Amino acid sequence: MKYLPEKNNKNLYGYPNWRYKAFFVLIFGFLSILIVGFIGLNFGTISIQPEKILSIFWHHETDNSLGLIIWELRIPRLIMAMLTGMTLAGVGGAFQGILRNPLADPYILGVSAGAALGACTGIALQYTTGLYLMNFLPVFALVGSFVSILMVYLLSRKKSHLPMTDLLLAGVAVNFFFSALITLLLAVSNREIHSMIFWLMGDLSNANWQKISLVTLPVFMGSFLLIFSSLELNAMALGEEEALHLGIQTEKLRLKIFLIGSIMIAVVVSFTGLIGFVGLVIPHIARLLVGPDHRIMLPVSALIGAAFLIICDTIARTILAPTEIPIGAITAIIGAPLFIHLLKRRNDNNEY
Amino acid sequence: MKMNQLKSISMSMIKIVLVILFFSIINTSGFSQQNLFPVTLTDDSGADVTLNEAPERIISAAPSNTEIIFALGLEDKLVGKSEFCNFPEETKNIESIGKMSPLNLEKIVSLDPDLILSYGGFQLKDIPRLRELGFKVLVVQSESLQEMIQGMQLIATACGVPQKGSDLISRLQERINHITSNIKKLSHEKQPNVFVGSNFDTIYSPGAGTLFHELITLAGGQNIVGHLQGWAKINPELVAQKEPDIIIIPSGIMNPEEISKIKQDIITHPGWSHVPAIKHNRIYAVNEDLFYRAGPRLVDGLELLYEIFTGKK
Repeated sequence: MKYLPEKNNKNLYGYPNWRYKAFFVLIFGFLSILIVGFIGLNFGTISIQPEKILSIFWHHETDNSLGLIIWELRIPRLIMAMLTGMTLAGVGGAFQGILRNPLADPYILGVSAGAALGACTGIALQYTTGLYLMNFLPVFALVGSFVSILMVYLLSRKKSHLPMTDLLLAGVAVNFFFSALITLLLAVSNREIHSMIFWLMGDLSNANWQKISLVTLPVFMGSFLLIFSSLELNAMALGEEEALHLGIQTEKLRLKIFLIGSIMIAVVVSFTGLIGFVGLVIPHIARLLVGPDHRIMLPVSALIGAAFLIICDTIARTILAPTEIPIGAITAIIGAPLFIHLLKRRNDNNEY
Repeated sequence: MKMNQLKSISMSMIKIVLVILFFSIINTSGFSQQNLFPVTLTDDSGADVTLNEAPERIISAAPSNTEIIFALGLEDKLVGKSEFCNFPEETKNIESIGKMSPLNLEKIVSLDPDLILSYGGFQLKDIPRLRELGFKVLVVQSESLQEMIQGMQLIATACGVPQKGSDLISRLQERINHITSNIKKLSHEKQPNVFVGSNFDTIYSPGAGTLFHELITLAGGQNIVGHLQGWAKINPELVAQKEPDIIIIPSGIMNPEEISKIKQDIITHPGWSHVPAIKHNRIYAVNEDLFYRAGPRLVDGLELLYEIFTGKK
């Protein structure tokens, strides 16, 4: 990034010690995920002694029911929650950056509605045709989300440009359109409505190692690409024109972030369903904690997102055990008041 | 008249003989106690399930299957049931695995079952995961009385008690035949028009393909929404137009106050005052479990409807 010589632009960016800060913050973040993860591992419908869990973990026991619970149910779920939280919060932060809009979340550009429509179509087909499609729901969701990504892209593209307002409006329009189709599908369906609603609220209970192996690579690759765009996002934070003057090709940046982020979200959401609020609220919390420098803010946002979703999933699994609550409900119940609180605080301090 | 009677009696005799013959063939052809297992069964989701020995730890994830297990006298082997399994009374001593959907996998794994009875439907999404973890899952999904009877035989065979299954089935079949043979004597004009309304804010009524519709038809009633498919949302005008002779209210909790309130709502429903069921006060609240759950109590439901339709209740 030679057009952004860091040392010469100290005043502009004002984060001279960001490397130290990043180092400590990331170490702290990883440690807290480990701790939260281990705590989450201890909670479940079945209570298992922590020593027992450690020994199962250490000896990789999978030949008894407790071993199965730990290795095949709880750990895959934790990892899936972590990956999902990471993606939602990280992409949410990046989208807020490129759209210069604090209300942007990963779903604002239409991906989620496409995925949801795909999945609901799959569920409806399963019941109407009698075919067994449950295992292919992620494929349906993925196809749906790619259709919506393409639609948003084609609708907002002007020659080779991708103007911000058009992108946002196209995303919102596609969202509304697809949501209307989902409502229509829900209105004409009978028995499948329950499955659809559960999908729409997000569900991690079917996480397994295979799904994790499919999700991991796109998520980590996408995350690194997003983090490597941090400096450009920082410039964008100054304003579209200022960024242009600094030599940032804002249209290209927007297209890049939009595509990377949307694909990441599409992959994750196809397996987990729609989990709301994480992608909206966590980037704000990260910004409050470590400031607006994307180089730190994005990874921190991802780490907090991971920890937050692990906590939410643990609550979803245990609070009404043996009945499970959809995780989307928990994230929204915790996320909404938090978000309102943040908004209020922002208004009170009159700063962002 | 006499001819008719004779005919129906002989018909039901033939049916009974056929049923007995059928099960005696099953009994002699390889279901002797020694070689019941291993057995491979094709369940209602089309999956082949192989059981190497009689299951000792069964989880029933649906009320229908729980009632079948109890009817087969296998309740001692039941180690888990869904939260909704509330019949018979003894189910309250069995550990709950939570809601029917989504299944709580952790709870199920911890109970270490050697057979899980699912009802398909919403549970289909969790079943691949359970099978992946090495559990035997048998899907018993019945959408008609006959399918329920087949499901019963499937469960009985899976649990190593095919004889108990066929005994139970022949007892139920006898009760069903008793009613159907009586119905045949009735002329078509005498069949009452029946309306089932689940909820009187938005009215859902069971159309063709539902268990409720089948039982109404078997008990000699004419379902006024029989031309619709599945549970259908009904416009109140349809009730006014079809003028049902009998209104059935499927009710979950049999709370007399609530029922009288619902009845009052129906009686005062705008545009329905000319409906015969309301004029002659033939509005009945029935325990919905007898009509929704594909278990042995469907036959109780059938008998109840028969009594209502013939004016014995």
